[in-house]
Amino acid sequence: MTDLLFYVFAAITLISALLMVVSPNAVNGAVCMIVSFVTTAALFVLLEAYFLAVIQVLVYAGAVMVLFLFIIMLLDVDKDTSQLLKDKMTLGASIVGFSLLVILICAAFAGGQHLPETALLPVAENPTGEGIGIPFTTSAKSYGYSLFTKYMLPFQVTGFLLLSAMIGVIVVSKKHSTDS
Amino acid sequence: MTATQSLLVVLFAPLLSAVLIAFFCRTRHGLASAISVAAAAAIFIFSILAVSVSGIDTVHASSAWLQFGDFEINKGFFFDGVSKTMLVMVASVGFLIHVFSLGYMAKDPARGRYYAGLSIFMFSMLGIVLADNLIMIFVFWELVGFSSYMLIGHYMSKDIAAAAAKKAFIVNRIGDLGFVVGIAYAYWHFGTTDLEVMGQIVGANSDMIHAGIAALLMCGFIGKSAQFPLHVWLPDAMAGPTPVSALIHAATMVAAGGYFLIRIFYLFPPEVLSVIAWLGVFGAVYAGFCAYARTDIKQILAYSTLSQLGYIGAAFGLGYPGIALFHLITHAFFKALLFLGAGSVIHGCHHEQDIFKMGGLLKKMPITGITFFIGILALCGVYGLSGFYSKDAILIAAGLGDPSIAILLTFGALLTAGYMGRLFWVAFLGQPNSEAASHAKESPLTMVVPLIVLAVLSVAGGWLGYWPEQLGGIIKSDKHILHAMEGYDAMHTKIIILGTAAWVIGLAISFFFYGAGAKEDRLAKKAAPIYGFLRSRLWFDEIYGFYVEKVQQRFALFLSFIDVFVIKGILVRGSAGIVGLVGICSRSLHDGNLHTYVYWFLAGVILLWAAASGLL
Amino acid sequence: MTVGLNAFILLAGLLFAIGMLGVILRKNTLVIYMSLELMLNAVIIALVAFSRYNGTMDGNLFVFFIITVAAAEVALGLAIIVALFRLRQTVMVDQLTSLSR
Repeated sequence: MTDLLFYVFAAITLISALLMVVSPNAVNGAVCMIVSFVTTAALFVLLEAYFLAVIQVLVYAGAVMVLFLFIIMLLDVDKDTSQLLKDKMTLGASIVGFSLLVILICAAFAGGQHLPETALLPVAENPTGEGIGIPFTTSAKSYGYSLFTKYMLPFQVTGFLLLSAMIGVIVVSKKHSTDS
Repeated sequence: MTATQSLLVVLFAPLLSAVLIAFFCRTRHGLASAISVAAAAAIFIFSILAVSVSGIDTVHASSAWLQFGDFEINKGFFFDGVSKTMLVMVASVGFLIHVFSLGYMAKDPARGRYYAGLSIFMFSMLGIVLADNLIMIFVFWELVGFSSYMLIGHYMSKDIAAAAAKKAFIVNRIGDLGFVVGIAYAYWHFGTTDLEVMGQIVGANSDMIHAGIAALLMCGFIGKSAQFPLHVWLPDAMAGPTPVSALIHAATMVAAGGYFLIRIFYLFPPEVLSVIAWLGVFGAVYAGFCAYARTDIKQILAYSTLSQLGYIGAAFGLGYPGIALFHLITHAFFKALLFLGAGSVIHGCHHEQDIFKMGGLLKKMPITGITFFIGILALCGVYGLSGFYSKDAILIAAGLGDPSIAILLTFGALLTAGYMGRLFWVAFLGQPNSEAASHAKESPLTMVVPLIVLAVLSVAGGWLGYWPEQLGGIIKSDKHILHAMEGYDAMHTKIIILGTAAWVIGLAISFFFYGAGAKEDRLAKKAAPIYGFLRSRLWFDEIYGFYVEKVQQRFALFLSFIDVFVIKGILVRGSAGIVGLVGICSRSLHDGNLHTYVYWFLAGVILLWAAASGLL
Repeated sequence: MTVGLNAFILLAGLLFAIGMLGVILRKNTLVIYMSLELMLNAVIIALVAFSRYNGTMDGNLFVFFIITVAAAEVALGLAIIVALFRLRQTVMVDQLTSLSR
């Protein structure tokens, strides 16, 4: 049953991403993007990363993409009237992209060590993890625990990053007064 | 004062004089001549001092000059018997010629430059005499060539003088090419170019003698001492002032080649020696023939010099460097005397140089005439005079070694007597043949006294018993070797008879054929084809001229074409063009289009990934 | 679930390639930016899948940071695009070529 769910959600993700890329209307593209993110969150649920699924929907699909939509509608861009696959430049570009794709897939499946088709491991309920890596759990507690012990430094730095991004946005989007 | 210090004064006094004259006295002619003659006197005094202080010991003082890792060039003095003999000769003849120049060049408008040239020449020549290694000899060799160029071209306004100076320098350079290659070969082979050290190496192990080194070093001698085939510059060098011809092209510079060979005699295997001998013999006879077709007094003497240089080469080639040195020294005395006498004659006849326009000069310029005749007798090898002893030794050595050489050299002596007699009978006897000759009078004292001194030296220079013991050691030892050879006494009498017969017959025939004070060349009148053939000098100048014009110039044009198109065009401009091309390509990356930047980014990522995965 | 790691990797790869196509082919700056976000999303999927299959939390934690940084970056990038639009009145990439040469 879950296999079927995986295939369904994966298909929707890919198709909506593709639609986003080729749609001439930017708003349509943004909405397709939101669909793609939501199905990605569904995939996270399938991978038993429940907390991340919620974060994905809240932050990524809910805030980032909405911001995108605001800006698209603010700038009021026209429809992209260029014919995508007609001129030589884009033809060449698409060939390059496709070849990259093929190479990526071949690299993923070729090579010396064949990744074994592993099934999902049974989860461990122990939130506190000692030893090499914090063991995988589904509870949000382990996220908090690792964030404040092992990944304290990146946590602080990210906070700082957010602060500077905020200041940067304010500075960049200020309208300059015309008397100076 | 030690010998080394005296030698330093000897070497640097003329350099100092040249520098002073060149910078301060080019127009102050009196001061320039005084400085130059003073330097020459200092050279003479200090060389006598150096010889007497050092006794019969060899003084070898050397210090490092340049050092690059293993390769080092030294500078130093190598003052052995040969060098002492040569030094005394160069100093004395040089001083006398400086004094003579005071009189001869008294009215020359550029005599400041002349005296500077003389001083720099003395410096260079003394450098060759005293140097202790091949590289230092080469440096001074080239300096001598430069001084010769400057002095031959002294009369700057005359095209012929400038051309002659160029010719002398270039022909010398051709010989020097072999010389330089020989020095490099010698350094590579022996690990040093020091004369004494090389002598010791070869003395210990005679397998170290290479014919290649000797043959290459011989090229320098051929160029500098005007041996066949590089003899063409010497007759043209007579375009310079007469004291210059006396000093450089008779007594010292052309002898430098022979002196150099004597210094490196131990390097020569028998094959190369025989080549030198035959080149010398050819030069001796060839020059003898050419002198018959010359009417300029200096040209006749130039061919006589060529001939005697051939004798020196032959003596060396027969294996007797001491006898070569002996003839070199006696030749310096009587040839300098002859040239200075010619200078006195030219000065007296107001720069008339054609012998057929002179005549009757013995009555007008008695001292010049008598000393000139003494010089001729010495040159012809009259018994008792200096030239006799050296020439006699050469003929005996040839007779005991290779009789064909002896016959040819004796024939050469006959020719010598013939053309020198022609000169004397025509120019000095009979009646004056021109305005200038009839107004000739004896030259001033500054010119006459050197003539007298040189005449005394020409007479007494061959009496080896009176030479001080420091000088001429190698000459005496070679003579002892000759004396000790079997068949010496018979050969000695034979040569004395043949030699005397040669000069007597030569002088007599030329007197009766040409006649005293003749107005024109009788050979030209009676046998014009022979005269024309003799005048052609075997067309060497024409052959060389043809070669330079047709072959060498075309090759040079071809090389110039390669230089402009290949080296400048393709290599230099091409590499600059490639850099420019790279610049243009880099600039085309900046086209402002975001997509282009993305492609390049992608290309970089693929490259990195390929490198990381081991594909590259 | 018997879907293996390879499937997730394949999905992530495809998503990444689609994003790359968007960056290369489209001329609208905003669409290009959205394609960049798509590429980041693909990486997130791969990270979560690896984390699950290795049995550790590190991959999930890193996803946190990716989402955070992506959000900050989007905010700032869009501010710049708005400023650029104010200057040039266009967001089409082929008209924003003043850096050429």
